[in-house]
Amino acid sequence: MVKAYVGIDVGSVSTNIVALDENYEVLFNYYARTNGQPLDAIKAGLEKLKKELGNNINISGVGTTGSGRQLAGVMVGADVIKNEITAHAVATTHYVPDVRTIFEIGGQDSKIILIKDQMVIDFAMNTVCAAGTGSFLDHQAERLGVPIEKFGELALTSTNDVRIAGRCTVFAESDMIAKQQYGFSKADIIKGLCKALVRNYINNLGRGKKLEPPFVFQGGVAANVGIKAAFEEEVGHEVIVPKYHNVMGAIGVALLAKEEVEKKKGRTNFRGFNSLQTDFVPSSFICTGCSNNCEVIKVEMNGTPIAMWGDRCGMWKEKVKRAI
Amino acid sequence: MKISFPYMGTVVIYKKLLELLGHEVIVPPRPSQKTIDLGVKHSPEFACFPFKVIMGSYIEACEMGADTIVTSGGHGPCRAGFYGEIHKRVLKNLGYDTEVIIIDSFNRNRKKVMENIMKLKGNNSWLKLSKAVKFTYDMIQEIDKFDKKIREIKPYEVKPGSVDRAWEKIQKEFDNAYSKRELKKAVKRSNEIINSLEISRIDERDRIRIGIVGEIYVVMESSINMEIEKVLGELGCEVERGHYLSEWVDFNLVPSFLKKSHEEEIIKKGEKYIEIIIGGHAKQTVGGIVDFKDRGFDGIIHLMPFACLPELVTQSIIPKISKEHDIPILSLSIDEQTGKANNLTRIEAFIDLIRNKKLNKYSA
Repeated sequence: MVKAYVGIDVGSVSTNIVALDENYEVLFNYYARTNGQPLDAIKAGLEKLKKELGNNINISGVGTTGSGRQLAGVMVGADVIKNEITAHAVATTHYVPDVRTIFEIGGQDSKIILIKDQMVIDFAMNTVCAAGTGSFLDHQAERLGVPIEKFGELALTSTNDVRIAGRCTVFAESDMIAKQQYGFSKADIIKGLCKALVRNYINNLGRGKKLEPPFVFQGGVAANVGIKAAFEEEVGHEVIVPKYHNVMGAIGVALLAKEEVEKKKGRTNFRGFNSLQTDFVPSSFICTGCSNNCEVIKVEMNGTPIAMWGDRCGMWKEKVKRAI
Repeated sequence: MKISFPYMGTVVIYKKLLELLGHEVIVPPRPSQKTIDLGVKHSPEFACFPFKVIMGSYIEACEMGADTIVTSGGHGPCRAGFYGEIHKRVLKNLGYDTEVIIIDSFNRNRKKVMENIMKLKGNNSWLKLSKAVKFTYDMIQEIDKFDKKIREIKPYEVKPGSVDRAWEKIQKEFDNAYSKRELKKAVKRSNEIINSLEISRIDERDRIRIGIVGEIYVVMESSINMEIEKVLGELGCEVERGHYLSEWVDFNLVPSFLKKSHEEEIIKKGEKYIEIIIGGHAKQTVGGIVDFKDRGFDGIIHLMPFACLPELVTQSIIPKISKEHDIPILSLSIDEQTGKANNLTRIEAFIDLIRNKKLNKYSA
């Protein structure tokens, strides 16, 4: 039996699970669409982990991150629940210790993280607009009838420079249609799109920041070689894409879980694989205590509430906290 | 006259002053989703978030029977200076025959301010007016002291929520005070409430102190800024705001020859970055950042209404100030969006950053 540390990153688009051993080697890595059902996605991922490695590993620590971190944390009994910015930074500094700039592009948001001496010194995150994210590429790939996996390679074959507006998806789309009518090839247009996305990203998130190498590019979109090339052109420097670029958040929080458990002298809160059979029922109700009418989210385990959130006043949150 | 006012921060104060002058006071409800919905519906789309919330508050006050609204004017060339007028028009279009009294800075337009004061003074003697003003003035100073104290001890509360409940009680104590003697008693009782709280102090070096700067309404009104002071408190941070009512009064309403206000000092500290008045609280924001740093704070959160022009200017200067003064600063835009997950992620990561920075300083 080896000790293993599990990291779970529940994002809006994908749910990722990794298991690391004592020497930080990745034993297991799982990447699947969340499809709006975080609980099912986590269950499916953990089932797979149990099937593949369940008899050989002893789970000694669990961490959760991503926008669904609270719910996931309650469900599995996490030792640490961390925001995705910190988690990403932790993982990257592990693989590229002298990293200074991290570009992270996910499905619904994108982040830039500046690091100095292995510590986050500045960050920015974009969620207001989808123009600089994976969803935008997904959508355009579909429009052009190019599978997203082929997108990047196709972009690299282009030799033409086609300028496409990157400020706004709506403008980008009309630009793209116009360029198509002019007779540019798909490859040219896709290259233009990659460059537009990178331009938008740098203008939006890198504004006023000094970007220094080494650069690391991660997140689901990092698989796209077209975007990587566009980044390299924009910053005029090599950009590193780590091997596990699409599960970096999960790796980061697994590392943090290990640290946390060691601090607590080896005890984990992990509920065990059996907890997958436990009935978790998230539900929500409108609290009528005041005119805010907050939508309060309640998670019940076998009929007893174990977590509540969403209330502005904190009344329900405290109630559960006191009861536990 | 049934008087109401915009809801911002510790409303006990405005209520008190107007009551002491013998007016019937209508306190609008604390801004809620309903307020925001009403405000958004009846405001110009491009208006900033504070305008919309205040619009909603006014409509709620009018529904409760208010016939007069007292409010402050804006600063300088920011469009907020015009908001009182637009509010008045919207209310009229909605069929409310409400008078809106806009009190501008005394140090800018004395004549108009005097006219408005006469309206509020009514038949009261000057002596009574000055007594009422003095009393409420003293009260704001006291309340704000407790407000600061509460945010200082919140991260160390033993029972979750106990400090917030204490703050509710303290405000009620002050709400019940109508004379000098009662005010003294309220102060004494409030001190007792604070002292009875169970607090677990931490090592002086581990304290994390955050300053909040930005546009006054989103900084002061917790119901629309995701209760940021509480959120930070729960993450283990002591918090102080860049705006307190007492300081606003000192700066805007107390004639400058009587008292030199704290805010003037602040503005001086930021003069280097923004020389001229560009409206809103831009000068206070940059000065506030420098001031917090001078006082040993660990980080700054800058709140701005989405698309607020003066604060957008500030935001673009922030990287420079952050670098020159070596202090982390996080800017957050506030708008009608209800989900706070995104901002929470930013805030948590920001606090991690500050904590690491601090730890590193000691171990290095």
